[in-house]
Amino acid sequence: MLTLEGVQVNFGGVQALKSASFSVGEGESIGLVGPNGAGKTTLFNVISGVVRPTGGRLDFRGASLLRLPEWKRARLGIGRSFQIPRPLGHCTVRENLIVAQRFGAGKKDPKRIDEILDLLNLREKADRDATTELALTEHKALEVGKALATEPSLLLLDEVLAGLETNSKRAFMERLAVVRERYRLAMVIIEHDIPTIAALCPRVLVLNFGQIIADGTPDAVFRDPEVIRSYTGETTL
Amino acid sequence: MTTKHVNRLLLIVALAVAYVGVPLLFGGNAYVLGLIVAALTIAGVAVAWALLGNLGGMVSFGHAAFFGVGSYTSAVLAMKLGVPVFAAMLLGGVGAAVSSIAMLPALRLRGPYFALAILAYAHIFQILATEMTPVTGGAGGLLSIPRFPAVFGVDFGEKTGGYLIILTIIVLSGLAYDAVRRSSWGLALKAMHDTEVATRVVGVPSTHLKAAMLALSAFITGVVGAFNAHFISFLEPDYAFSSGWTVLPIAAAIFGGYRTVWGPVVGALAIYLLDQLLFKPIMPHGHQMVLGVLLCAMILFSPGGLMPALRRRAAKEARHAHA
Repeated sequence: MLTLEGVQVNFGGVQALKSASFSVGEGESIGLVGPNGAGKTTLFNVISGVVRPTGGRLDFRGASLLRLPEWKRARLGIGRSFQIPRPLGHCTVRENLIVAQRFGAGKKDPKRIDEILDLLNLREKADRDATTELALTEHKALEVGKALATEPSLLLLDEVLAGLETNSKRAFMERLAVVRERYRLAMVIIEHDIPTIAALCPRVLVLNFGQIIADGTPDAVFRDPEVIRSYTGETTL
Repeated sequence: MTTKHVNRLLLIVALAVAYVGVPLLFGGNAYVLGLIVAALTIAGVAVAWALLGNLGGMVSFGHAAFFGVGSYTSAVLAMKLGVPVFAAMLLGGVGAAVSSIAMLPALRLRGPYFALAILAYAHIFQILATEMTPVTGGAGGLLSIPRFPAVFGVDFGEKTGGYLIILTIIVLSGLAYDAVRRSSWGLALKAMHDTEVATRVVGVPSTHLKAAMLALSAFITGVVGAFNAHFISFLEPDYAFSSGWTVLPIAAAIFGGYRTVWGPVVGALAIYLLDQLLFKPIMPHGHQMVLGVLLCAMILFSPGGLMPALRRRAAKEARHAHA
C-alpha cells in the first residue's frame, strides 16, 4: 500500500534521510528502529506530509503523495501520532476525536468515537481538557485515538510507548494489538525497546544515518552485525 | 433552569428591548439614536474582528480595508448601476469578501507579521479608492449616495429605520458567528491556534478554514461599511478607510470580551456611549483619554473583558444565593 523509493531529506547542510526505500503491505505491522538521530521521525514526517522530501518517490495505493498536503494524506487513510503528544488545543478528549473524525473520515459517528474511547481506556476522561487534565499514558492513548478517528488504513506510531512504566507499557501494547485486529490496520511503529517491537511486529526495519540498513524478522534483524554495529559500535549485542 | 435556558432567555429579552424598547424610548431623540447607530456600526466591525481573532487566531489591523471596500462597492453599485440599496449593501459585503482574496498570501504569516501585512493591504485599498477617480470620485469622494428606501411603510432612510437595519445586521452576524463557533469547524479552528500541524495531520485543511473565516469577517465588515455609506449618504477615502474603523472596534471587542460572541457589541455600546454621553460633556477636549484609562483598567483587572467579568460576578452571586 505504501512505497518509498530513494527518499531524501536535507535540512540545510544536514542530510536527515539519504535514500530511504521500503514498502508496507496491507495490514502489515512493521517496527522501525534505529539509533537517535537516524531519521525515524523525519521518515514519518515525510509520509504524513509534515516535511517535503528533497528527492525520491512516495506512493500510497498507486498514487504519488508528494504534492499532497498533510490533511489530504490523512483523508486518504494515513494516520499518525507524535512522539511528544500534541492534543488539539482548548478541546476535550472527545472533541479531539470529533475533529479528527469529522475532517479526517468526513463523517459524524458518535458510536465509533465511544468505541475508540473504550478501546483506549479514555472513556472516563472523555470530557476532560485534553491539554491539561491527562496523564502521560492517556496523552499517548489520545495520540492513537485521534489517528484512529480519521479511520486510517495505515497507522504511523511514533514512540507511543516511550516513557511508560512496565505495567502501563504492557497494557498499552495489548490495546494496540486489539486495535490492529479490530480495524485491520497496517502499522509502522517507532520504538526503542527491542522486546516490545519483537512482540508486536513480525517485520523490523532498521534505519541508520538516513538509510534502511536491515529489513526482516526481528530475530534476523537483531542478529545482523551491521545493526549491532549501528547501535553499539561492536559486532555483538 | 439550566445555563443554556438562562442564556436563551437573556437573548430574547435583549432582542425585545433592542427592537421595541430602544425605538420607543429614543425614537424621538435623533441625537441619541444617531449615537446608538454609530456605536452599533462600530459593534458590527468589532464582532467581525473578534470572529477572525477568536476563531481564525488572526489579529487584524486592517479591517478598515473591508469597511472601505464594502462601502465603496455598495455606493458605486447603487449610484452608477442603479442596484437597489439593500441588494447593493449585501454586494458590498461580497465585494469585501472578494477583496480578502488578495490577502490570502498573508495567511501563512503569524502574529505581528500577519497584522502588519494586513495593515499594508488596507493602505493599498485606500490608495486605489483615491486614485480610481472616475469610479470612486477620487479624494473628493461620493456625495448624495442613495439612502435606504421605505418598505411596508417603514422609512429605513430615517434614524429609526437605520437603527433597525444595523441592529439586524449585528444580530444575524452574531448568530452566524455562534453557529460557526459551535460547529465542528469552530472546534477545529479553536484547536488550530496552538496546534496547527496536529490538526492538519487529522485532516483539517487549516489554511482553507482560516481563509473562510477571513472571508466571513470581511463580508460582515463590508456589509456594515455599506450600511454606513447609505446611512450617512457620503463617502471619501480618508473617512471610509480611516484607521478609526480598525482601532475603535478592536478597543470595543477587547473591552467587551473578544472571546465571547456578544462581548464586542456590549463593548462598543459601552465605550462609545460612555464617551459621547458622559465623558465628552464633562471634558470636551481630551475626553478620549478617559476612555484610554478605562480600557487599560479593563485589560489589567479583567483581561477577558466586560462580559466574562459580568458572568463571573453573576455566578458568584448565584453561589451566595444557594449557600
